[in-house]
Amino acid sequence: MDELYLDNIDEFVNDHDKIVTYKWLSLTLGIHVNTAKQMLFHYLDHKRKESSAQLHATYLVSGKFVDNGQTSHKVSVVREEQLEDVKAKMSLIVSVHVYSVQKALLKDSGPLYSVDYDAVKDSLKNCSKYSAIRCATAVPMSSLELQQAREMHRAPSPEPENKKPAMNGNGILASKPSAKPAKGIMGMFANKSTPKNQDSGREMKSEQKEDAPVVDAPKSRPAAKANPMMNFFGSQPAKKPEKNVKEEEAAQSSSTAAEKQRRSPQPEQKRGDAVAEPQKNTKNDSRSKNKRIEDSDSEEDKMEKKKRRRIKLPEPDSSDEDVIPDSPPQMETREASPSPKKEVEAVTHSYQGNFDGKIRKRRRVLKSRTFVDEEGCIVTEKGYESESYSETEDDFQPTKQALRDPFKASSSKDDEKKSQKKSSASANKGTKQASIMGFFQKK
Amino acid sequence: MFSDLSAQKEGSSLLCRPASEDQGLAVFERTSLAYSPSSERYGVGERSFSRQYAHIYAARLMQMRPLLSERAKEKWGSDVLIRKLCDLETGEQCCIVGTLFKRMELQPSILKEISEEHNLLPQPARAKYISETDELILEDELQRIKLEGKIDKNKCVTGSVIAIYGAERNDGKFTVEDFCTADLPLQTARPSLSSDRFVLLASGLGLGSSRADSMLGLQLLVDMVTGQLGDLGEQSGAATISRVLLAGNLLSQSTQDKDASTKAKYLTKKTQAGSVEAIRLLDELLLQLVASVPVDVMPGQYDPTNYTLPQQPLHRCMFPLSSVYPTLQLTSNPYQADIDGVRFLGTSGQNVCDIQRYSSMDSHVEILEETLRLRHLAPTAPDTLGCYPFYLKDPFILEECPHVYFSGNAPAFESKHIKGPDGQEVLLVTVPEFSSTQTACLINLRTLHCEPVSFSAFSADEDEESEMNISH
Repeated sequence: MDELYLDNIDEFVNDHDKIVTYKWLSLTLGIHVNTAKQMLFHYLDHKRKESSAQLHATYLVSGKFVDNGQTSHKVSVVREEQLEDVKAKMSLIVSVHVYSVQKALLKDSGPLYSVDYDAVKDSLKNCSKYSAIRCATAVPMSSLELQQAREMHRAPSPEPENKKPAMNGNGILASKPSAKPAKGIMGMFANKSTPKNQDSGREMKSEQKEDAPVVDAPKSRPAAKANPMMNFFGSQPAKKPEKNVKEEEAAQSSSTAAEKQRRSPQPEQKRGDAVAEPQKNTKNDSRSKNKRIEDSDSEEDKMEKKKRRRIKLPEPDSSDEDVIPDSPPQMETREASPSPKKEVEAVTHSYQGNFDGKIRKRRRVLKSRTFVDEEGCIVTEKGYESESYSETEDDFQPTKQALRDPFKASSSKDDEKKSQKKSSASANKGTKQASIMGFFQKK
Repeated sequence: MFSDLSAQKEGSSLLCRPASEDQGLAVFERTSLAYSPSSERYGVGERSFSRQYAHIYAARLMQMRPLLSERAKEKWGSDVLIRKLCDLETGEQCCIVGTLFKRMELQPSILKEISEEHNLLPQPARAKYISETDELILEDELQRIKLEGKIDKNKCVTGSVIAIYGAERNDGKFTVEDFCTADLPLQTARPSLSSDRFVLLASGLGLGSSRADSMLGLQLLVDMVTGQLGDLGEQSGAATISRVLLAGNLLSQSTQDKDASTKAKYLTKKTQAGSVEAIRLLDELLLQLVASVPVDVMPGQYDPTNYTLPQQPLHRCMFPLSSVYPTLQLTSNPYQADIDGVRFLGTSGQNVCDIQRYSSMDSHVEILEETLRLRHLAPTAPDTLGCYPFYLKDPFILEECPHVYFSGNAPAFESKHIKGPDGQEVLLVTVPEFSSTQTACLINLRTLHCEPVSFSAFSADEDEESEMNISH
């Protein structure tokens, strides 16, 4: 084993015609720098003894140098020929070792720098791994510590602190705006919806922790708050997550957050978020997708704030648990981007579905009214109408499923749910909004 | 001396075969020191530029007046009359305290330039703006008076607060017989250290320049400090370098491309600012350093931060790779910190260069001493040096005497020990510009002695290099 390195160096120098510096050798072979220097010396010695190979070397000389009465510590890289000269000029030699070995005679030390630069660049993370000095404090901080350090700096401004967790995950940012309008509209329903949001938030949090180990603690904390929104995004045909993905900085972090959204199966969350969505979506419909991304920033901030407030009211509701298993496959299908109209409808229906069936409430719902106007044309108009309803969760599941049919990415699970929904849809037909399932049922 | 320290070690030379494990694989622990930054006074929080600069002078005079009165009493007797300018009587020997103003003909004045009456062409940049026709004027809160006599106007700069002893003549000018400055403030005693510990100072790295000659030198510097270069002895010596201070001008002047603002947009659309690549290089360089030694980074004249003094620290978002390390400290310019009980104070050199332009002094270390004696870091601010309009207090007034006082980006390395009237001892260091001199400084905290470290490589013009005289 000990002699293998000779062959390695030989290969590098002769076959690849490389300039082998001690640093490059150390990083390539993963050895201590001093060992690399010794290896180079050995190789040089060995090669010269056995054959008069055309090898050139550069040496590093450092020592005390007196220049016009001024003593200085001088470190220089010299060619082999100049080694003795330079050594003679110094008053005290501190160290001499081989710097590099190469086949060609180097006129300029420029290439030495580029070799080292490339070597270091390729292994930036452990550039000090093989050096002879260890520093106890030079340990990179984890992102948790980093954020804490930065938050301390930013203590005077709480607002940016809120934003910062937001920046960590795209879903989080999205959830902010959803919270605000949700709060406004859903004021009456806040009591019931917020507990579920929080509850599902906790569930989502634990799931996320399992699912996305990459995400650190600060992320999951705001993620808990973001859960309603993220869940909502799951129910939403992926448009929101897509927008957020574009907004947020790292594609990776956004994709992990998107995954989180998909995996979080909180139908009740969608309820709360759905409220916010109708307004947002109708507003967004009229604009291009790009614009939506920009707008959603400010809206999302508001929404998330509202969302957070709602979560604070704790009240776990067991009835909602039943519906949870259904949502994961639903989330997956949402990735396909649907037409805006369908999104709106999905929103409204899911919005309705998010609420506990036991409460009879009035709420504004986006409804489509089809009628024949003066000229004899059939006109479909969408408008908000207040409606009271008291259906249970199950009723809305089918509607949501039905909406997802036209989506491109539909899974087999959807079909199962469709049948599920069909049965329940027929049961509570009276209080339901007109849904696309209506086409199937009229038959 | 660093060389002596490193050479003492009886380590075997690395000019041998790789022997058994332990010898060559020595790993030394970096000595860590107590560090407490105290540059908060140079941080500017909420900035408002709606104020006039006159307030700085008022604050400066208000703060310095009592100090100068004390010094005046010490120097000329406790019964010396200290008068305000408005109370001056002709012929009376007294002492006046005020701010110096030097009226220079050659001083660039924007008003003269744009004035159509004078019809002047913009003045070319000169090395020095002093001339024989300069006049010295002393100003206090209410009035000003011309000065004549035993005061060397070439050495004085605008903005310094001094006390003058003399009398007013009939023609309204004040004849100076003697003057004194606030001199050094009090100094806390330096703790005595048991072992040699070093702090490396470097400045003027000049990254991003079109000439890349100094890059190998820079790499050698980094390698030496991180313990990769050199024999065992040198590596153990390098382990005693407990801190690295980069004093400004990390980027080269060529990255300050002013053409971008005047060039047509279509020509500059796809081009990136020169500083982008340079900052990336700097980040990688810093990463290598911070993984092994605590580093303090001060901004300089050509670095991407504000222009006015005090320059705020470079933002950590520019250093994504290295800012995850707690060893990276981005500090302001000027910089003040206590490293193992030794107080360091310094700037990136803008204040010294400015004084050099408006006075006859040429040696940077002489100017450093002058600023220390004046008890003010940058007396020419805000007159000729950009500065933030402070109004409550002037943060550049030295309140405590440092042990090491440095300035970066000097043309050559110089160091000097000076003593103060109350027993203070200060080491003055002018850190040379690395990109041109390939020299950095090592300060021994135990002895407060400074040693230059120079790096060199070889190039095609080998013979010329060896004969080149480095010191100028």
